[in-house]
Amino acid sequence: MFEIEFAFKILEIFIFPGFLFIGVISLLYEWIDRKFYAKLQNRVGPLYAGPFGILQPLADFIKLIAKEDIVPKAADKILFTLTPLFSFSIMLTATLLLPIINTSGILSFNGDIIFAIAIMTLFCILVFCAGLSSNNRFSAVGAERAVLQLLGYEIPLMLSIVGVALNVGYLRISEIVKYQLTNTWLIFGPQALGFAIYVIAAQAELERIPFDIPEAEQEIVAGWLTEFSGRKLALFRFARDLELVYVSGLAVALYLGGPLGPTIAGLEPFFYTLYFIIKTIIVLLILSTIRALFARLRIDQMVNFSWNYLLPLSVLQFFLVRLVI
Amino acid sequence: MSSFTIPIGPQHPALPEPILLKLEVEGEYIVGVDVDVSYMHRGIEKAMEYRNYIQNIYLAERICGICNVAHTVCYTLNVEKLYDKEIPPRAQYLRVIIEELNRIHSHLLWLGVAGHEIGFETLFMYVWRDRERVMDLIETITGNRVNTAYTTIGGVRRDITSDIEYKIRKTMDIVEERTKYYKSVAAAEPTILNRTKDVGILKTIDAINLCAVGPLLRASNVKNDVRADAPYAAHDEVPFNVITYPYCDVFSRILVRVDEIFECINMIRYCLDHLPKGPIRIKLPLKPPKGEAVTRVEAPRGELLHYVLSDGSEKPYRYKVRTPTLANIPSLCRMLTSTGDYIVKIADVPIAYASIDPCLCCTGRVQIVDIEKNKKWIWSWEELKEYSKKEWEKS
Amino acid sequence: MAMFKELYKHLFKKRATVLYPFKERELVHIPEGYRGKISFHRDRCIGCGVCATVCTSGACEMTTDEKGKRPIFYLDRCTFCAQCAESCPKNAIELTKDFEIIAFDRKTLVVK
Repeated sequence: MFEIEFAFKILEIFIFPGFLFIGVISLLYEWIDRKFYAKLQNRVGPLYAGPFGILQPLADFIKLIAKEDIVPKAADKILFTLTPLFSFSIMLTATLLLPIINTSGILSFNGDIIFAIAIMTLFCILVFCAGLSSNNRFSAVGAERAVLQLLGYEIPLMLSIVGVALNVGYLRISEIVKYQLTNTWLIFGPQALGFAIYVIAAQAELERIPFDIPEAEQEIVAGWLTEFSGRKLALFRFARDLELVYVSGLAVALYLGGPLGPTIAGLEPFFYTLYFIIKTIIVLLILSTIRALFARLRIDQMVNFSWNYLLPLSVLQFFLVRLVI
Repeated sequence: MSSFTIPIGPQHPALPEPILLKLEVEGEYIVGVDVDVSYMHRGIEKAMEYRNYIQNIYLAERICGICNVAHTVCYTLNVEKLYDKEIPPRAQYLRVIIEELNRIHSHLLWLGVAGHEIGFETLFMYVWRDRERVMDLIETITGNRVNTAYTTIGGVRRDITSDIEYKIRKTMDIVEERTKYYKSVAAAEPTILNRTKDVGILKTIDAINLCAVGPLLRASNVKNDVRADAPYAAHDEVPFNVITYPYCDVFSRILVRVDEIFECINMIRYCLDHLPKGPIRIKLPLKPPKGEAVTRVEAPRGELLHYVLSDGSEKPYRYKVRTPTLANIPSLCRMLTSTGDYIVKIADVPIAYASIDPCLCCTGRVQIVDIEKNKKWIWSWEELKEYSKKEWEKS
Repeated sequence: MAMFKELYKHLFKKRATVLYPFKERELVHIPEGYRGKISFHRDRCIGCGVCATVCTSGACEMTTDEKGKRPIFYLDRCTFCAQCAESCPKNAIELTKDFEIIAFDRKTLVVK
C-alpha cells in the first residue's frame, strides 16, 4: 500500500499537477499574454511557430538553450552560475503550494502563506545577487533599482495577504480555500480593495510595465540581465513565466475561491483544474491590460507612489477587515 | 560618493543612430556629459564635387531619410538661385504641399519614438499605424515612400490629378482627428506627465546663447521660424502661425510638435484650394553661371542651411551643408548637466535626448586619429588654418 | 488610464497587419507611378547616351550590340530615382510596378 501511495505522490509532484503540468501551463500563459497584448495594440502577436504561434515560447526557450554561454572574465563565477539555477528551482518549488486539483496543494502546512511571501522576497534577493555578480555597470544600476523597488511594493503586498488571513482566521492556504467553499468568495466583501492592491503590487513584483524599471531596455541596456546568455538566460526567462503562474494562482486561491465551482461528484480533479485555469487566465488578462495602459515610471516616482498611496490604502483595508469582523 | 562614467552608445537600444554620450554619474544623478558625434560621417560633401548638378539632387536627398524633402527643396532652390530665372508658381505650391506632408510624417514618427523611450509601447504602435496613411499618400504622389525625389532643378517632376487631390483631403481629415486624440491623451495621462514635465529643461536665455534651432527653440518661448522670417517657395503667400510654448521642458516640445501637425494640415488645405494653374517645370541648362548662393529652409528638426560655389562647369566646386541637429548638440549637453537645484537622473537621458529629435546621419563631423603616434585629437579652427597654410606652402 | 476606452475598442477591431506574402498578397496596393524595376524598349532607343550621363549611381552604362549603341542597367546599383526615364527623349525606359527584386547572385540583376 505504501509503495503505491509513494508512486502516486511522485507522479503527482513530477507530472500532474506538478512540474510538467506547471511548465506547460507557464509557456501557454506567456503565449496568451503576448497575443492579448498584441491584440490591444492592433497587431498580430506570435504567428508562425505552430498553429496561431502557440509554440513560440517553447521555440524561444529551445533557441536560447542552444546558444553559446559566455561568462565574463571579471564576474564572480560561483554566484553567476548558481543564481539562475536557484531562481528557477525556488519558483518551481513554490508552485507546489497552489491548490489545483483539490482545496489544498501538494505541499500544505500551517503557516505556508508566510512561506509564499518569503519566496517572492527571496526571488528579488536573487535578482540583486545576479546583478552584482556580473561586475558590469549596467547590471549594478539594475540590481540597485530592483532592491529599491522591493522596498516599495513588499509591505503593501504583505499587508493585503495578511488581511485575507485575518478575515479567515487561519494562516494556511487550504483553510482559506475551504472557507470560501462555505462562504462567498473573498473578493465580494472588504477584500475587493485588497485584491486591487495585490494586483498592483504583483505587477511590480513581476517587473512588467509600468514597473519594469530594473530591466528598462531603453536606459540601461537590459539591467541585471545584461551579462546572462544561453542556458542561464533561458532559465531566468522560464523562472519569469513560472512567477506569472505562481502570482496569478495565489491571487485565485486567496480571493477568487481557488479551484472551486459547481462540479459533478467523482470528476472533481478534472473540473477543479478547469476552473483553476479559467480563473488564472482572467487574472492574467487583467495584468496584461495594465501592461498596455501605462508608461514606465521612474524609480523615485515608483517608491513615492507606493509609500504615499499604496501603503495608506493597505493600512486602511486592514482596519476595514478588523471592523467587519 | 565617487563618480563613475556610464557610456551611452555608440550601440545602445535607446539610440536610433550611433552617438557616444559619456555621462559622469554619482548614484542616479548626472554631473557631466561629453559628446562624440563622428560615427556617421560619410563624406557626402566631397562626393558632391565629383557629380553633376542633376546627379547631386539624389545624393542630397540621401543625407537624411526622414527629412529628405527638406534637403531636396533646399538644394534645388539653392541651385536655381545661380540661374536667376522665374520658377512657375504651381511648382512652388506643390513643393510646399510635399514639404508639409514630410513634416507631418516626421513629427508623427517622433511622437511614436518618444512614447517608446518612456516605455509607452501602446502609443508607439498606434501613432505609427496612423503614420502609414501619410506614407501611402506620399507613395501615391511621388512613387516611393521614403526617398521622394519630387523636386528637380526648374520645378517638380509630377503633377497631382483630381483624384490624388481627393485622397489628400480625405487623409488630412483622418490624420487631424487622430492627432486631436493623441493630444488629449498626452495632456491627460498621468504617467506621461510624470516622465516629461520638468525634465530636460532648457531655459530661454540658454537656448538663445547656445544657438538652438527648430522646435527645441520654440518650446523655450522664442518665436523663430525660417518660414516666417525669410520665406521661400510660396511660404510668403500661405498663412500659418508660429507655435511657441513657455514651459521649456520635454512636455512643451511634445505640445509644439503636435500643434505644428495641425498647422501643416491647414497649410496643405490652403495650398490645395489656391493651387495656381500652369506649367510645373522649366527647362534649365546643365551648366549654371559662375557664382555662389546660400539658402535656408525649415526642416522638421530646425533650420537647414546649404551653400554652393559654382565655377561655371557642370560639377559644383564646393558644397556645404549645415544641419539642425549639429546646432542642437550644445543645448543637449546643457540639458543633461545637473546644476544647483536642477537635477538630472539617468532615467531622464533617453527622453531628453529624443526630445531634440536627433538625426545623426546629418551631423557627422571628423575626429583625427594618428595611428603611428597612437594619438587622437580634434583640431580647433586656428590649428586647422595653421595646418592648411603649411600644406599650401609645401606644394 | 486615459487610453482605456481606446484599448477596449481594439478588442473588436480587425488587425492592422497585412499577412504578406503567404496569405494576403493581393491586399498590398501599389499605386500608379510607383518606381519599381526598369523595363527597356530596345526598338525605341537611338543610342544618345543621356541616360548614362544623368545616372546618379553608375547603374546605367553604354555598350554596343548589333543594332548600335544602347544602355545596360545594373539593378544592384540602381537607386530607382527615374531620372533616366525622365531624360530619355524617346521614352525607351520605363519603371514598372514590380518591387520584388531579389536574387541569390548579384550578377543576375541586369536588365538588357
